[in-house]
Amino acid sequence: MNPPTKILIVLLALVTSVALAACGSSDDDSTREATATSTTRKATPEKPKTTEIVVRNGEPVGGMQELEYSAGDEVAFSVRSDVADEIHVHGYDLSKDVKAGGSVSFSFPAEIEGIFEIELEQRGTQIAELRVNP
Amino acid sequence: MSWLPFAHALAARQDLPIPAWLFAWGASIVLIVSFFALSVGWREPRFERDRWRPLGAGLSRALLGLPAQILCGAVGVFLLGVAVYAGLRGTEAPDRNFALTFLFVTCWLGFPLFSVLLGDVFRPFNPWRAIGRLVGGGLTRLAGQPPAHFAYPERLGRWPAAIGLVAFVWLEIVYGVSGGVSVGLSPHAAGVAALVYSAYTLTMMALFGTEKWCRNGEVFSVYFGMFSQLGSFAVEDGRLGRRRPLAAATSWATTPGSAAVVIASIATTSFDGASEGAFLSALEWTFERFTDADLGLTLALRLTDTIFIGLCAAGVALIYLIGVWGMSTVDGAPPLRKLWSGFAHTLIPIAFAYLVAHYFSLFVFQEQAQFTYLLSDPLGTGSTDLFGTASSGINFQLLSANAIWYVQVAALVIGHVVALTLAHDRATAYWGDYRQAARSQYWMLAVMVAFTCFGLYLLSVSNA
Repeated sequence: MNPPTKILIVLLALVTSVALAACGSSDDDSTREATATSTTRKATPEKPKTTEIVVRNGEPVGGMQELEYSAGDEVAFSVRSDVADEIHVHGYDLSKDVKAGGSVSFSFPAEIEGIFEIELEQRGTQIAELRVNP
Repeated sequence: MSWLPFAHALAARQDLPIPAWLFAWGASIVLIVSFFALSVGWREPRFERDRWRPLGAGLSRALLGLPAQILCGAVGVFLLGVAVYAGLRGTEAPDRNFALTFLFVTCWLGFPLFSVLLGDVFRPFNPWRAIGRLVGGGLTRLAGQPPAHFAYPERLGRWPAAIGLVAFVWLEIVYGVSGGVSVGLSPHAAGVAALVYSAYTLTMMALFGTEKWCRNGEVFSVYFGMFSQLGSFAVEDGRLGRRRPLAAATSWATTPGSAAVVIASIATTSFDGASEGAFLSALEWTFERFTDADLGLTLALRLTDTIFIGLCAAGVALIYLIGVWGMSTVDGAPPLRKLWSGFAHTLIPIAFAYLVAHYFSLFVFQEQAQFTYLLSDPLGTGSTDLFGTASSGINFQLLSANAIWYVQVAALVIGHVVALTLAHDRATAYWGDYRQAARSQYWMLAVMVAFTCFGLYLLSVSNA
């Protein structure tokens, strides 16, 4: 076997393995995401189940929440907060004021694909990430 | 604490990562194309001469004559002035201020695109060149002779531009930090930075001459000019003409430091793409080590990012070096140094593909803002509505996630093919013997596959 052929085979093997590894890991990711969000998604078709995000001391309880939907779904969530602020859904550009100790709910069709921030506008704290897949 | 890509400060949305099946398809197409490329190689260089042919004289006069030069220069200076004024006096909300979108999206991303399509369009609009020429012309008239300049140290070549390029991106993504969170550059800081850069550039132009500095040190002239080498329109001897696409690139990297410019471009785009996903845990780990060492949140974050930009640059340079070193082991190879600069231009299409892949959607969405509310209300204070578009918004439904994915993957694959084409062509020029030329290209093939698959990988990594 001459050297170039050897290089080619090594290269091919390398790239294939990298590609496979990357595909494998992204598959894992997507299944993991799917299970993590199945509560929101599987329940959606008939009655949209509302996810509740709880804000304590200006921070989301349990860290930043992930909301994942498919395009066309109805996005539905509510925010219960112990601080007064404005809840802003970026991209969709929806805002609602929440009083200290109060709760607001959002419901809108997922018509823009992409990843969007949901934040406490005045504090600039991101409380959730909205993902809308095609 | 979180790392956010540059786009974050401006745009209200981020791209979804490309799905696994598209990654697999993209990588497969890259491999198939690459092996196909090995089998169809031509034996004589085709791009070493650019075969420039002039277009109509009337068109040249209209586009390049003195009135057009004055008009374009004035527009450039005016827009820079608007950006600086908006930055200093306008709102601190990054997405509502004209300065950030104009400088970092419209110009920084728009000029590479239009340079490829239309030639070096930044040159006539370059505000610093316009001021330099005006002052130079005035002094020449007063003194009766052109002003004397220092001799530019030719060994420096384009290094000042390469360093300036990294500094610009550093300012764009690293500098803006608040309480351990990267928040992006503030409009005020952007305005100050534009003034500082103007002072620096005009000083350098006074020292070394306007055109000399534009060719070597002026970051934007060099950077946008690099992309214009890929396209087919060019001005020679004051006339507009067409040349063979890609051909001008073959003589671009003869100036020292050119490889550094293109490496800096790939490295900085990679960093911006990787900071949201691929490097996230490594960044967090490093950041925690620095905060444990009591460096303070701001310093720790800036230091972490700076180190990783450095690592990106070193990584990109190393991959290229391995390819160059590999080629040098093939019989009849020119010296390593000549190979290093001789193949640098083959990375320009990769750099362009990275830009398109990472910023295409940002550009499309943010330009809607640029031409509606940012134009009508540049300060973002709600006080003006110059064109009646101040209350318009961005239509985020203009591009579907699928459309964005296809453009991203297509850009990387096309960039890959163009890079291979240029590398193969250069090899046939350097190696008289066709078989040795082909052998040398196994190495460049590996380099290009590495860059393209890394680009695909960055797109596929979730930024959650």
